[in-house]
Amino acid sequence: MAGEINKVVILGGGTAGWLSANVLAARRPELQITVVESPDIPTIGVGEGTWPTMRETLRTIGIGEAEFLQECDASFKQGSRFDGWVTGGKSDSYFHPFTMPPSGEMHDLLGAWKSNAKNNSFANMMTAQVAACEQNLAPRQRSMPDYAGALNYGYHLDAGKFATLLTRHGTTKLGINRVADTMTGVDVDSGGDIQVIQLRNSPPIAGALFLDCTGHSALLIGRHFNIEWVDHSNSSFNDRALAVQVPVDPESAVASQTIGTAHEAGWLWDIALPTRRGIGCVYSSRFLPDDEAERVLAEYLQKQMPEVDSADFSPRKLSFATGHRARYWHRNCLAIGMSAGFIEPLEASAIVMIELSIKALAENFPASREAMEIHSQRFNDLFHYRWGRIIDFLKLHYVLSKRQEPYWQAHRASETVPPRLAEQLELWRDQPPSAWDFPQVEEIFSAASQQYVLYGMGFPVMSNNNNGLPATSASKALSDVNERGRALVSALPTNRSYLANMTATAASLNT
Amino acid sequence: MSNHQILNNADHLMLRVHTEANADLGDAVMTCLAVPLEFRLIQTEFPIVFRRDAEQGTFTAMALFGFENGENLFLEDGKWDARYRPLALVSQPFLVGRPASDDGDAQVHIDMDHKRISGDGEGTRVFDEDGSPTPYLEDIANRLGDLHAGFEDSAGFIAALSRHDLLEPFTVEVPLQDGSKHSLVGFHTINEEKLSALDGDALEELQRDGHLMPIFMAVASIGQFSELVARKNARIADA
Repeated sequence: MAGEINKVVILGGGTAGWLSANVLAARRPELQITVVESPDIPTIGVGEGTWPTMRETLRTIGIGEAEFLQECDASFKQGSRFDGWVTGGKSDSYFHPFTMPPSGEMHDLLGAWKSNAKNNSFANMMTAQVAACEQNLAPRQRSMPDYAGALNYGYHLDAGKFATLLTRHGTTKLGINRVADTMTGVDVDSGGDIQVIQLRNSPPIAGALFLDCTGHSALLIGRHFNIEWVDHSNSSFNDRALAVQVPVDPESAVASQTIGTAHEAGWLWDIALPTRRGIGCVYSSRFLPDDEAERVLAEYLQKQMPEVDSADFSPRKLSFATGHRARYWHRNCLAIGMSAGFIEPLEASAIVMIELSIKALAENFPASREAMEIHSQRFNDLFHYRWGRIIDFLKLHYVLSKRQEPYWQAHRASETVPPRLAEQLELWRDQPPSAWDFPQVEEIFSAASQQYVLYGMGFPVMSNNNNGLPATSASKALSDVNERGRALVSALPTNRSYLANMTATAASLNT
Repeated sequence: MSNHQILNNADHLMLRVHTEANADLGDAVMTCLAVPLEFRLIQTEFPIVFRRDAEQGTFTAMALFGFENGENLFLEDGKWDARYRPLALVSQPFLVGRPASDDGDAQVHIDMDHKRISGDGEGTRVFDEDGSPTPYLEDIANRLGDLHAGFEDSAGFIAALSRHDLLEPFTVEVPLQDGSKHSLVGFHTINEEKLSALDGDALEELQRDGHLMPIFMAVASIGQFSELVARKNARIADA
């Protein structure tokens, strides 16, 4: 059904612009969608981790899984491993896997874990995914249908190649118009709605709804509408990153998880693709000078990849502000991606926020300008809530640390802890995180995610009221996880084998 | 061609085996060996027939999957389309071996030239990282044990059938929907009239030795011929 809002103009290419365009075109084929991307502006291209949501997104768009994996130099991501976040000691490491704990009362499962675990970690007892990650295994077999997994998974990908794939798919398969030009001005109507955007070399483009996907330049929501930026650097200190990409041996193991390694004033990311590792040092300029951060990065490279000379890789320097707009959807302009907000990539929230934004729009698409006011208000409320939960969840990784450097001590200062998180931590001394803490339909970080971080970092488990004996159903659930896990792990190929065989099969089909 | 080795976690630590049913993996077969202890499960899906070895004159029980060599009507796009997969198929490429001394315990052997041996890093591992058997190997070991025990029982079972002259040559002409006919020659089945005519002593002996139940399972399995014909007709219709 075509309403009066039928022309959508997306300003900005990159992951936000093209992902939004593809999903909207696939779900709302009646819309006329134009992406305007400036040939002068390079995309940032560091958002290289997705959530499991990406599988449904790609299926919706109509891209096959093998095509996606190959075109984007992608591999499977099954969660994150956090090294050095509690004490910085040698064995200090925990997992936040994508697969949920078994169903059942978490209170009982915790009791069963504590009585049966010996030295087994919380995550390792709750899912076989940890064992699969430790052996660099893929979450699925090639004979499974596209996007089905034996374990829950997302992807690591080359963001530049992803945008290229989405551009091609969107323009050739989904009928999206692409205009390569630079915006020079905005025309508004008497009420202030954007009517037209002026372009340097092309005729102006009119639209009924404009998506601002221009990254942190935020040309529409920021420069034009001047919507307030809500700063969250009080809670999230990191404001700089140094990024390198190091080629890897074509036979080398491809890790199944993002590895986040804490350092004295921030952390390092390590993301494995089939052809390279993306490694970056995230830090707070307030606590660490740039040259010290370069030293931290070089030391990590030296330790992790002694075969490479870190002097060969001069890091790309990024600086960023942490926060989000006071409103994301204002009048007939919706900001998606970094124009809407940004926070350090600790839990890969950037791409999933794009997916959630476009899903909310596609499923609540305004039929009229009047309805748009109601939808935008609801959208703003929902995403205000979601940004709040992201900020809380990332902070959780810091407040549970016992590290003693000034940066880490500052992170635990109560005035930097969001009040809702402080309250939850109080409650979690008596009861595990549950849906009571995260009651929304599509919570960005589920209770399970909170549990993995909480108990991964050694948060105390309340004693149970069963004379210290674990519930037998919970013990049974955990032994089932273990049994099924053994069978599963033995039947999954390594990421490297999976990806190499997939490429070989595709090559043999093409000849 | 085969290359039998004694399975062990030193030589075969990283070994992976393709476990799915697939023509490329050697499952495009018209029959496979069936042992009496699995007749109860086999007869829910497949006809059980007996093949006579021309040289030795002995009989072997077989599960029947098709009407001509290489035809397996239960193999559909890389999937096994039946609730049961006979021991002799599911246990490939593993075999029961005897140590050279002949009186030791049976060992698990593996045919390293079998198509199921994976060379590409996909398939199911036989040993964990630490060298202990995976659930797959544990399951295979159980099935091999059953197959081995069943095979040992088979000789007595076949001898009893022969002693009571219960096997008769069986030829069936199968008319298909497209007007063609398939004839199945060279197999034997149990003669129901002779079975019904056995006296009490004979029945008691068969019962005591555990042969009576498999005999009736084999008789009942003949009812699966209609299913086999239906599958054949479906293939013809799809072609």
